[in-house]
Amino acid sequence: MSEMNKLIKEIFILILVSSLLGISAQAVLPNGIGMITEVTLVGDDATAVAIPSVSINPNGEENAAANIDLQAAHSAYEAGSAIFLDARSPEDFAAGHIKEAINLPVHAFLDSLTYLETINSATHIITYCDGEDCNASIDLAADLKMMGFSKVNFFFGGWQEWQTAGYPVEGDS
Amino acid sequence: MRTSIDTFLKSKNGELFSRVVQIGLGLLFIYASLDKIWNPGLFAKSISNYRILPLPLLHISAIILPWLELTCGIALVTNRYQRAAYYAIGGLIIIFILAIISAMSRGLDFNCGCFSVEGAESNLGFRKVFQNLGLLLSCALLEYRLWVVQPASRFKFSRFN
Repeated sequence: MSEMNKLIKEIFILILVSSLLGISAQAVLPNGIGMITEVTLVGDDATAVAIPSVSINPNGEENAAANIDLQAAHSAYEAGSAIFLDARSPEDFAAGHIKEAINLPVHAFLDSLTYLETINSATHIITYCDGEDCNASIDLAADLKMMGFSKVNFFFGGWQEWQTAGYPVEGDS
Repeated sequence: MRTSIDTFLKSKNGELFSRVVQIGLGLLFIYASLDKIWNPGLFAKSISNYRILPLPLLHISAIILPWLELTCGIALVTNRYQRAAYYAIGGLIIIFILAIISAMSRGLDFNCGCFSVEGAESNLGFRKVFQNLGLLLSCALLEYRLWVVQPASRFKFSRFN
């Protein structure tokens, strides 16, 4: 057998063994996932976006964070019953954000632990980012869920929808 | 310069050096695979952040890729199927580099999911690209050494004559 054929055969064996191990392992692992990608539709019916379910709920928990629509987010804002966490960068936050929101960039999550520990774990938290083209709100909501907060929603419509609706904002521009 | 590299690679020290590089690379890939194997959902989430892979391939890739890293790592450490591992790992690294560059060029910003699926890992950046290029170079060196010490291992392409 030529060197090339031998090499191709060996690479094939490595991939085959890895596939068999990986697929069987899902039955044993505590957080195993299925081979078929599950998706969750997020947003209004007409403009709903398919998001991989693992993005929202990576560990397959029963009580995952869910989307909250503009009206429900606004009601919570009016009632003052929720904390709004802005998952965008400090620059975007400074340029404009939902009034009284707190900036918690999702990449700096670990830097924010001291702050988060001061929040009661039963507090209603609503995360948001720019809008339908960003996943930071979902990532932050998933992180908060993993940290033990019980009532977390992501407002997928985000800054764009809030601003368009003319709801209270603050910031430089 | 090339002859001096070849001479070194053929020497006892060259053999020792490449063995150390191979085992180091193997251990690195084993280490990189463990967290992803343990948290396939989080790894799938990391992959989806790149927004490259079609959704139907997301879970199956998250299931197989870490195990491929593990088996290749074991192959390098135990020196069995090592040549297949050079190419498989080389291929994986090239895919990682292209994915990182593609995500950076689209202005996406997130942890790369390279070594761990969660935590204080650095975000995407040229540093990640250079780290991966270093790993690719190690694979290339190991394959090159094989060509130098075992000329028979070179690929022969049949010619039309």
